Formats: sequence, C-alpha cells, structure tokens
Amino acid sequence: MIIAILALVGLFVAVYLWMFKLGIIGSLSCKIGGCDKVNTSPWAIFLGQPVAFWGVLYYVGTFAAAYASTLERFAADRRAALLLVVLTGWGVLFSGYLTYLEAAVIHAWCQWCVVSAIIICIMFVLAVWEWRRAK
Amino acid sequence: MANSKKPALQKQFTVLLVVIAVIGAAALGWVATRSGGGGVAVDPNLPLGTAQAFRLGNPDAPVKIVEFADFECPACGQFAMLTKPDVHERLVKTGLASVEFYVFPLPMHANTWSASNAAYCANEQGKFWEMHDRLFYTMDLWNTQATKNPDKKMKQYAAELGLDASKFDECLDSQRHYPNIKASGAEAERQGIGETPSFIIGGKKYAGSLPYDEIKRLVDEELVRLGKADTTKKGAK
Repeated sequence: MIIAILALVGLFVAVYLWMFKLGIIGSLSCKIGGCDKVNTSPWAIFLGQPVAFWGVLYYVGTFAAAYASTLERFAADRRAALLLVVLTGWGVLFSGYLTYLEAAVIHAWCQWCVVSAIIICIMFVLAVWEWRRAK
Repeated sequence: MANSKKPALQKQFTVLLVVIAVIGAAALGWVATRSGGGGVAVDPNLPLGTAQAFRLGNPDAPVKIVEFADFECPACGQFAMLTKPDVHERLVKTGLASVEFYVFPLPMHANTWSASNAAYCANEQGKFWEMHDRLFYTMDLWNTQATKNPDKKMKQYAAELGLDASKFDECLDSQRHYPNIKASGAEAERQGIGETPSFIIGGKKYAGSLPYDEIKRLVDEELVRLGKADTTKKGAK
C-alpha cells in the first residue's frame, strides 16, 4: 500500500517536471540546487523525450502494479511482488545514473530529481521486503 | 473477521489514494494556471524607467504586451517559437497590439549575457528581432551546457543574418551594452518580475508562459475596457 502512495507522489513530481519541459511552467520552484540547469541540460532528454516524460510513464506503471498487488485477487500472487521488485529495481538503477550525472557531469542538483530518487529507493526496499514476505 | 475487514480496508485505502490524487492534481493545476489567472495588479503610476524596450508593431496600437524574457530560458524559447508567431501575425500585424520586449538575464544562465549583448548589437543594425529569433531557435547550440565561448556563435549568427561583421564584432567585444542589459534586468526586478517569461498586459502582470488563446483573451478584454473592441473586426482570431 505504501508503495502505491509513494508512486502516486512520485507521479506528481514527474508531472511537475514534465510541465516545465512543456513550457507550461516558466521556472521551477527550486529552494536548493540548480533545477533549471539540470532540466535544460542535454541529459534531460532520453530517447528523444524529456526524462520527466519517461518518469511519468514509469510512475504510472509502478502505481498500477502496486495498486493491483493490494487487491485481494493478487494478494497471494508472488509474481505481483516480483514485478514490483523488478520495476523499482530498474528505477533505482536509472535514478542512480541520473544522480551520478548531477553530481559528476552537470555539477548541479535538482531537488525534485533527488526527491524522486529517494522515493524510488524507499519503494525498492519495501518491494523487496514484500517479496521476501510473500515467499 | 479478518475477511470482513479486508474489503473495508481496501476501500479506505482507495479513498486515501483518491484524496492524495485530488490534492496533487489541484496543486499542479494551481501551478499551471496561476500565470493565467487574475494576474497581479501593477501600480499604473510606475513608469517602465529607462531600460530599453524592443518594440514589435505600431507604437500607437491600443494594447501593449510587455514581455520580460531571458534568452537562455527554455520556456522563453518555447514561447518565442510556438506562441510569438501567432501573436505577431494575429495581434501585432492587425494593429491590435504591440509587443515590448525587455531582456531579463537570470543569474543561473552564464551565456545569457553574451546572447543579450548580441541582440543589442544586432539592434544597432536594425536586426534585433532577427537575432532574437535566431537565439531562441538555436538555444541548445550556444547555452551554458553547450559552450564556454558563446561569442563565437553570436558572431556566426551575425554573419548569417547579413550584419556588418566588423561593426557587430566591435560592439560585441566592447561589451558596451552590458550596462543597458543590467538596467533592463533591474527594471524587471523593479516591476516585481520573478520568473521568465513574464508579461504585463492591460496593467496586470502574468508570470510564466502564456498560450496564444490566453493572450488573445487578455488583449480582447483590454480592448473592451478601452472601448476599442470594434478593432477586433480587423480579423484577429
């Protein structure tokens, strides 16, 4: 259940960043770091689309999987727990790559990206815990 | 007992998710529409000062659209590429409105000063708007992430736009317009502008990019207020 809540929160963070890329928002609210610098860098584009767009798709998928796993019909299904481990594990790897870019290549931090990375790490820990419990 | 509790718990959980979704959607909606909302009233007695505005259109047009933008701001670029052409064709060329553009260099954009300087230097040869468009359309090629020597790109663009290269290069290298750019930024701050792009239309300030339909609506409202609504018969849509 907590994973679904976190995925929903992460979805809003991703939508916020995507709105910036679409030009709907003039500038990001950024109390610390350089959100504009990170989100206008060449690494803010992945496979021809803004990283935030992929983030929106990712969180929608993770939310759907997490919510489905809370339904009674999937409660005893270990495949649902495994799917969440795979999804959040992939998220940890990709977030790790983005965090590396911020620290070592762009030399600027985007607070919203950091929030997203933290959310994904927590989701991964919870997913592994759920999966082990379902064994 | 556990079985009877589960559906109830599931229902409560779904309700919680819906509540979070509504709050999140409302927050995003507020962020997205605050620029197009009622606007923030600007003191009508506050003159625009001595900072230079670059005008597009008839200075006697009934409505003035004042824009504050940073050449290295992606949202400003999107406005310049996607919305400005419509504003130009449907509102400026029809005589309903004029545009006054103020440079507002933001501190996180290192190359915006070079770009602003290039625009001012192009203006000396009567090609501010040509350089304005070129800068916004090619932002990815000269911005802080792309190069540490933006002046080289600026000189290339000047040549491509048919400017007198020696005069342009001398202007760019002398950086003589930096005080003007600084004054323009100070003017934006004095007007209470906190982000780019921002607009003042009909005495109200709008932060963030505006779609064409919203600008048209605000211009129409101002025309009605001025009693010149019949000018819309000229064909602006």
